[in-house]
Amino acid sequence: MMPTDRNPAFLVSSGGTHPDPADLTLYAMQLLSGDQSAALVDHLAHCIECRAELARIHGDLALSALTVDLEAPSTSARQRLLDQVAREKKIVPAAQPTAAQSQTPEPEARPIPVPSFGRSGSVLSMEERRPKRGTRLVVLTGLSWAASALLCLTSGLLLRDRQNQRANLTQLGRENARLVADAASAHELMDALTDPAAMRVSMRLPATPKPQGIPSGGVTYNSRKGTLVFLASNLAPLEQYKAYELWIIPADNSAPLPAGVFHPDQQGNAAVVMPDLPRGITAKAFGVTIEPDSGSQTPTMPLVMFGN
Amino acid sequence: MNTTAIAAEDDAQLLALVQAGDQSAMASLYDRYSRLVYSVALRVLRDGASAEDVMQDVLMQVWRSPSSFAATRGSLGGWLAVVARNRSIDLLRRRRPTDSVDEIALASSFNLADEAECSVLMERARGAMQQLPHPQQKMLQMAFFDGLTHTEIAELTGDPLGTVKTRIRGALLSLRKAFQP
Repeated sequence: MMPTDRNPAFLVSSGGTHPDPADLTLYAMQLLSGDQSAALVDHLAHCIECRAELARIHGDLALSALTVDLEAPSTSARQRLLDQVAREKKIVPAAQPTAAQSQTPEPEARPIPVPSFGRSGSVLSMEERRPKRGTRLVVLTGLSWAASALLCLTSGLLLRDRQNQRANLTQLGRENARLVADAASAHELMDALTDPAAMRVSMRLPATPKPQGIPSGGVTYNSRKGTLVFLASNLAPLEQYKAYELWIIPADNSAPLPAGVFHPDQQGNAAVVMPDLPRGITAKAFGVTIEPDSGSQTPTMPLVMFGN
Repeated sequence: MNTTAIAAEDDAQLLALVQAGDQSAMASLYDRYSRLVYSVALRVLRDGASAEDVMQDVLMQVWRSPSSFAATRGSLGGWLAVVARNRSIDLLRRRRPTDSVDEIALASSFNLADEAECSVLMERARGAMQQLPHPQQKMLQMAFFDGLTHTEIAELTGDPLGTVKTRIRGALLSLRKAFQP
């Protein structure tokens, strides 16, 4: 029979019909469809010759695998595996024979000169791979393994519960730290607003009285603490990519210090609260200019608001 | 041959310890075979994170069920390599609609100073692969590392199905022959 792409071909040999070795090769590489594999699986179940050939093919595939260039996994991969191993810690029954014990010579085992590599395991039957045991031993072993599995499952659930609680605790810790930071910030703001030592300045258009509708604002500034709160109203809307910038004009006549970029809301109100300022800068006046959206390091005249 | 026998003995002892629940044996197993398993998965998947997932999966299979490998029947390293390839192909098939299989994995530096025998075997395998006629070599790699079926290979190469199957089979037999004494 000629091989086809639909079904594996079976060749007639002196011992009967066997699959085409080329199909067996494709089967070993898991490249046949379920239908295509089914006939081979049936045949392999009772053909020791083909199972041996399949084992040889898997040996050939192992040689193919050895042609890869070696690459190292990431350094964290080892710990990841060991962590997983620890999570799935085994409970080994005392009566469970070890692999070393099970590797004692098997009188009926047929030596196969090449490795056996199954479809993600071995294709050789379980009877060939394990020594026969008494029913009682099998039952006892099964029960012990079931108990182990139950214990592992329980341990896994407890571990997961513990991990969840730890995650919750971490989350609560973060939330608490955030609340503490918020409270400290609010406390600092209250101090800035109520500190009797703070400098309070009303601001308006330079050299004008305070008519209604004219921009005006107030600054509360504490040079010792470097705290500042600025509130303004009646600010005109700005062109795109423009912003207001508040300036501290130092008493020592050094260059004006930028104290915050801000945009008014639709009602013309704006605020600069607790900008990042150095301490110890004594102010003699405050001013507001219109600057590029990103702010400036030197004020662009004219002043739209001024106070001292 | 002595080295191989000693290595096999070590693998048997290692598996016995794994079966007994010795976690440090898994560390030894990782140190011994992680690069091979990872490299095979990487060759197939061409993605480091996915290859590490496959490596983790394959090694955990040994931890969970060490009896799935019978040490008396062959090389543990070879078994792990083939299982890693099969797992990777499984993963690749689920990804085929989005992943290209035409990319070529890059070679990189590696260090097998502690595994001289493995290094020699790998060199021999590479040499044997390079000795194959190009069409055989190409089709074996398409099937083994790219997980392409013989039908897909036939469509890509324009060769008849029978030729594809014969070449793949022939390539494997040539590799086998290269390692026969």
